Amino acid sequence: MGSVKARIADIQRASIHDGPGIRTTVFFKGCPLRCAWCHNPECISFEKETLYYPEKCIGCGKCSEGCFSGARVVCGRDMTAEEILETVLLDRDYYAEEGGVTFSGGEPLAQREALGELIRLAKREGIGTAIETSLILFDEEILGEADLVMADLKIWDEERHRAYTGVSNREILSHFKLLDRLGTPVIARTPVIPGVNDDRENVEKTRDFLRSLRNVIRYELLPYHPLGEDKRRALGLPPAGFPVPDRGKMEELRRYADLRG
Amino acid sequence: MLTYEDRLKALRETKIRHTLEKRSQNGYTDLDDFGTVPLPPGYRVTPLYTSENRSFYGLAGMSENFARVMDAHPPYVDPLEMLAGRWRDMLVNYRGDLHYFPAWRKKQVTEEDLAGVTVEWSKRWDEKRFPYDDLKPIQKLYNIQSGIDSDAHLACDYTIGLALGFGGFLEKIAHYRALNPGREAFYDAEEVCVRAIIRFIDRHIEEIQRLLEIETRPEIRENLEEMLKTNLAVRTGKPETFREACQWVAYFNCAARVYTRDGAGFQLDTVLLPYYERDREKGILDDETARFLIADLLLIDPHYYQISGVDENDRDLTNRLSWLILEAAAAIDISANLTVRVHENCDPAFLREAVACLFRYKNGWPRFCSDKNLLEGYMKNGVPKEIARKRIAVGCHWMCVPGVEFPMNDTVKINVARVMEVAIGDLEKEKEPSTEKLFTLLGEHLRKAVEATAAGINLHIDHVAEVTPELVMNLMMRNTLEKGLDISQCAGLYTVGVDGAGLAVVADSFGALETRVEKEGVLTWDRVFRALRENFEGEGGARTRAILASAPKYCGGNTASDRWAKRITDLWVETVRRQEMPAGRRLIPGWFSWARTIEYGAAVGATPNGRKAGEPISHGANPNPGFRRDGAPTAQSNGIASVQCGWGNTAPLQLEFDPGVGLEEGGVELVERLIKTHFDRGGTLININVLDKEKLFAAHQNPDLYPDLVVRVTGFTAYFASLSPRFRQLVVDRFLEGV
Repeated sequence: MGSVKARIADIQRASIHDGPGIRTTVFFKGCPLRCAWCHNPECISFEKETLYYPEKCIGCGKCSEGCFSGARVVCGRDMTAEEILETVLLDRDYYAEEGGVTFSGGEPLAQREALGELIRLAKREGIGTAIETSLILFDEEILGEADLVMADLKIWDEERHRAYTGVSNREILSHFKLLDRLGTPVIARTPVIPGVNDDRENVEKTRDFLRSLRNVIRYELLPYHPLGEDKRRALGLPPAGFPVPDRGKMEELRRYADLRG
Repeated sequence: MLTYEDRLKALRETKIRHTLEKRSQNGYTDLDDFGTVPLPPGYRVTPLYTSENRSFYGLAGMSENFARVMDAHPPYVDPLEMLAGRWRDMLVNYRGDLHYFPAWRKKQVTEEDLAGVTVEWSKRWDEKRFPYDDLKPIQKLYNIQSGIDSDAHLACDYTIGLALGFGGFLEKIAHYRALNPGREAFYDAEEVCVRAIIRFIDRHIEEIQRLLEIETRPEIRENLEEMLKTNLAVRTGKPETFREACQWVAYFNCAARVYTRDGAGFQLDTVLLPYYERDREKGILDDETARFLIADLLLIDPHYYQISGVDENDRDLTNRLSWLILEAAAAIDISANLTVRVHENCDPAFLREAVACLFRYKNGWPRFCSDKNLLEGYMKNGVPKEIARKRIAVGCHWMCVPGVEFPMNDTVKINVARVMEVAIGDLEKEKEPSTEKLFTLLGEHLRKAVEATAAGINLHIDHVAEVTPELVMNLMMRNTLEKGLDISQCAGLYTVGVDGAGLAVVADSFGALETRVEKEGVLTWDRVFRALRENFEGEGGARTRAILASAPKYCGGNTASDRWAKRITDLWVETVRRQEMPAGRRLIPGWFSWARTIEYGAAVGATPNGRKAGEPISHGANPNPGFRRDGAPTAQSNGIASVQCGWGNTAPLQLEFDPGVGLEEGGVELVERLIKTHFDRGGTLININVLDKEKLFAAHQNPDLYPDLVVRVTGFTAYFASLSPRFRQLVVDRFLEGV
């Protein structure tokens, strides 16, 4: 106890877009996928990284002694499960029944020992737990214990999936089926990226697959947002360069995404 | 035919026109809207100066000048409204108070009028008779807002006035005049004021009659006939119907505002309930009309009205009228200062609807106070529950027992950031400086500051009756007319609020010093002292500033600054409570800066939280902007709940944010959870703005595109377009994203 450490990119309190209610989201660092549109690019590498924001530099010339102006921000902190839980507990009074903690990333299942410990600790405290995952990895015990899993099915076509994320979706689909047997409620999601997966066929095929599962409570389409671009720049990466889907398109696609049909 | 809805729409448009016109007359005002209407062309008051310094004081001076300003007010009758009357100008404009001076008045005054007047100093106080030169150096040293000469922040007991009417006041004055020989001057002054109010009503009656002669629309004629009947009834008679009660309140409020811009509202849903129920029973009032009347009352003056809550037996007070008030506020949807009292015994559906209004209209109303925490805190002063429960939210951050209490709330403040700066000056002389030593020095200076503040409060209470007797509000206070005394001389409770300002600046300064100098050793004391002296502009100053400013902050969650905020609060409470006061007076600590963060900041040099000299100090009990990267409102809520002073006054949670989710997407439940949890953790008051980020930012660029956008500035709401650019920036800086 106390020795399991997770490499964390950030902990965000009062988050409302990472599951129901008021939540604290723990962003794990490192992900096996390479999604071209990733909005948390600082969570891709498992290594600690420095994000550079030149506009914040005060020109003190003492970078080697540590930067305090916000120009160089180190991302990646090794924290014990207890340390993470301490922050999660700060907002426990706000969670109520629907809220709680969300483990996100990056890919939280890539650090399964720490994640398992965190889920156990949170449950012991009576705090609701949710995992946001690409399901490229699978851990029966952890996913079975979580109160909610939010999993992505990014692109239905295998080749396109490989082209845009770096991996096949075969394993992900089989993990969806395995997950379904565990009984954990699942919210399935597709980030809608114009020109990549914003076609009716992609949504309908995904929807049809999800309809075959028992524990998928909702299918959500999340419009691509360019909030990751600043961080990409700070990491020295070229812009992802995708456009934002317009509202009309999203409304149209959402009509095809209805699981009840 | 014009419907109620058509009429309300037209009234909203008139309000927008007035807001823009007022801005051109007054200039930017970082103040409450107050419900005033623009001055007519040629408006002029010739004050009667009763003092050689070109001001006026005391019973005769105040009553005569009140009558002059009232008599100069033209009537305001809009045939689309149901109620008549508006105020436009106030006595303080003729006593050299630069703080409130509107632009139009600045153009009128002569150098002679303003001789000796400064921003800190007006001629509201009769210094020749009641000097306090001995206190001035200390007030200046610690940047104390002394409360000497301040507006009387107290609450009237409206049930007294509604039971009497203006004619009843005259009878009461005559009755007690006979019983209290030697108090003629007091009763004369009260009578002059009441007669001026009746003349004000008379001019409205004439105006309604004039309009009736030219009005042709039948439904509006009918309205004017009803308005005439109501005005004739409340001229001297006591209000009998719901409409008369609303009209009577509107006139009284206009008069109280003209007098000292003051007065406060009341528990609107219980005080007016008997009128509503009686009229409904008689079948002379429908809900649609009641709603219109309340909307009109809110339009006439955005007074602090409280709704819902529980009585002294913890029984829910929420009633049909409470709901109608929310509906009325929605129907008119302008600047409004409604406070919803939150208690676990109250109808949960009402709280939910009140929160929904924040989302639906995004105009900063209503706000929320904790019945339980405020009651329990106030009872610690030895006040019984049945009286403590009557203490209602009637000001920006303040509470008052109507008719009984003399609290001076929100008028007395100590700039604790400035006190810390003085303490740092002493710390520099120490051989081995430390945060512990700084804390001890802060305590010593706070004690001196509180002592001087108490002396100022006592001077004010002892003599304000001879300077600015509360002639209008006295009419609805207990024991005043009965004894021939001003309320300052006969209040049942003297629980005087003393607020500290700049908590986050001070806590973050201590936290930064502990973290960066004492724990990490990244900075030395000498380097910090030098950087402060040089305002972070000397060699290495920018880096020193960045090191200090990047230390974990108050409201960050278990940070060094969070711990210091609690210790500083304990020190503040203890220092204020230990101050001895005469004649049963008690000092009540709170954290609040009102809208004076810019002004207070100008008096403070560079501080160890990385704040440069002259920059605004932090707002009320709020953290500094950027306190966390995620700006979590839960974190802010926790931090502020932990610094409550606990004696019945507030340290408000001031929140402006875009919840990121809409009304239908569970946003209401999230904000409701935030409110309840903040109060469960000890919070007292939430001043809240649910804003649309894009609209706020667009309005910041061009406020005239959104003349109807209202924001809750502190406790009060104001039209964004009326705020100065610098103040708008502060509101934008406080803005948080996400729940």
